[in-house]
Amino acid sequence: MAKKQVTLIFPQHLIKEPVIYMMSKECDILPNIRRARVTETSGEVTLELEGSEEKLKQAVAFLEKKGVKVEPVGGDVVS
Amino acid sequence: MSYVLGLKCRECGRLYPKDVIFVCEYCFGSVEVDYDYDAIRKTFTKAALATRPKSLWRYRELLPIDGEPRVGHASGFTPFFKAEALGKVLGVRELYIKDDSVSHPTLSFKDRVVSVALTKAMEFGFDTVACASTGNLANSVSALGARAGLRRFIFIPADLEAGKVVSSLIYKPTVVAVEGTYDEVNRLCAEIGAKYNWAFVNINIRPYYAEGSKTYGYEIAEQLGWRAPQHIVIPAAGGSLITKIAKSLKELKMLGFISDAGTRLYAAQATGCAPIVTTIKERADIVRPVKPNTIAKSLAIGNPADGYYATKAVLESGGAAESASDDEIVEAMQLLAQTEGIFTETAGGVTVAAARKLIEQGVIPRDESIVLAITGNGLKTQEPLMNRLGAPTRIKPTLSSFEQQLQETLAACQPRSA
Repeated sequence: MAKKQVTLIFPQHLIKEPVIYMMSKECDILPNIRRARVTETSGEVTLELEGSEEKLKQAVAFLEKKGVKVEPVGGDVVS
Repeated sequence: MSYVLGLKCRECGRLYPKDVIFVCEYCFGSVEVDYDYDAIRKTFTKAALATRPKSLWRYRELLPIDGEPRVGHASGFTPFFKAEALGKVLGVRELYIKDDSVSHPTLSFKDRVVSVALTKAMEFGFDTVACASTGNLANSVSALGARAGLRRFIFIPADLEAGKVVSSLIYKPTVVAVEGTYDEVNRLCAEIGAKYNWAFVNINIRPYYAEGSKTYGYEIAEQLGWRAPQHIVIPAAGGSLITKIAKSLKELKMLGFISDAGTRLYAAQATGCAPIVTTIKERADIVRPVKPNTIAKSLAIGNPADGYYATKAVLESGGAAESASDDEIVEAMQLLAQTEGIFTETAGGVTVAAARKLIEQGVIPRDESIVLAITGNGLKTQEPLMNRLGAPTRIKPTLSSFEQQLQETLAACQPRSA
């Protein structure tokens, strides 16, 4: 099993949707939320995803298709 | 001797030993270096500093190394001066420039952070250093890494212009051109950084690397006669420089070197990549990543690692933020060159243009002390200026042709001192 640490950024229209739960069920991924900031206009959730390499790729694709931004926890590194 | 107590999570405050750790194991927040200020107080005095060489290492106690510096002995302590002519144009009384466009050896403030990162990497026993960069950071890792005798890997997006790679290739690092978007390069480097036992300066060595930026703040205060200015305008890419200038001033105040001037910090970004400026202006809690589209490539970070902390530092200081369009950036680069004789890169244009707007808006008062952070040199990236600066005056090889042109030129251009 592989692990991936990511920050998810939710636009306003997705805040009410249980996107992480849906991703977890659909892609067979174990999410472990470590930190979150949610306001009325946006949400930021930092978490660890655990699953096979293939399932992790599927999970990221699922989230991005939903409109969630999936970013590495350390931010951009190309400067 | 080391003055480092360890690392501390910026989110949950959890403490870690000084090791190669860059995110908190619990909350995945970023970590930063924590110092023993009581011990520092004993040796870090104005009298001691007066006898030390003029480089960034004169502030050694406040930098996260255990032994002696390995590289960067000539880096830092760059020029700081009152910018009378630019001040006159901007209509302000006390304007200063901190000029890292002439930083040794690679002409940008990255020489500060890389000097610290490579020294720390060698202390940790790494023989290989790496970074992902399209410009200044790549040059600095390539050059200072060569001096230190380290193996170097530089990751760049494959479509980067050839001219931008030359000033890294000359030092013979391994330059890896990744066929992918900037996002893909970012993700790949995060994966490589996690897998390989290399010192990736802006990933796993980041907490130590970032501390080097504090020297920019220490120097401003020292060169101003141990006084903090009332306003500092700072360009923002990842946002780290803003947070570290804030930290440097807090440390100097805590150690009794300066009194609290209530220095206000201002973030400057290009309009085509302004996630931090937007967050500050909207007083938002979350920094929303953007797709960069600007000539200011050295500031083009769409998802800034320190965006949240930079926002906090600016707002806590009572400062503000402003962005500049590509045209405004070029205009400001020309203004700085024509008034103060400094050829800065686009990031410097962003700083000057943003400062000008903040002054005109009345956000920065005209009668208070203002410092502009100029962090890089224009000679390295001349592309944004091509076809924007006019052409040389062309003449026939005769005295009459010269004199005819001279009259026209003289009519159009008067010396400022006249």
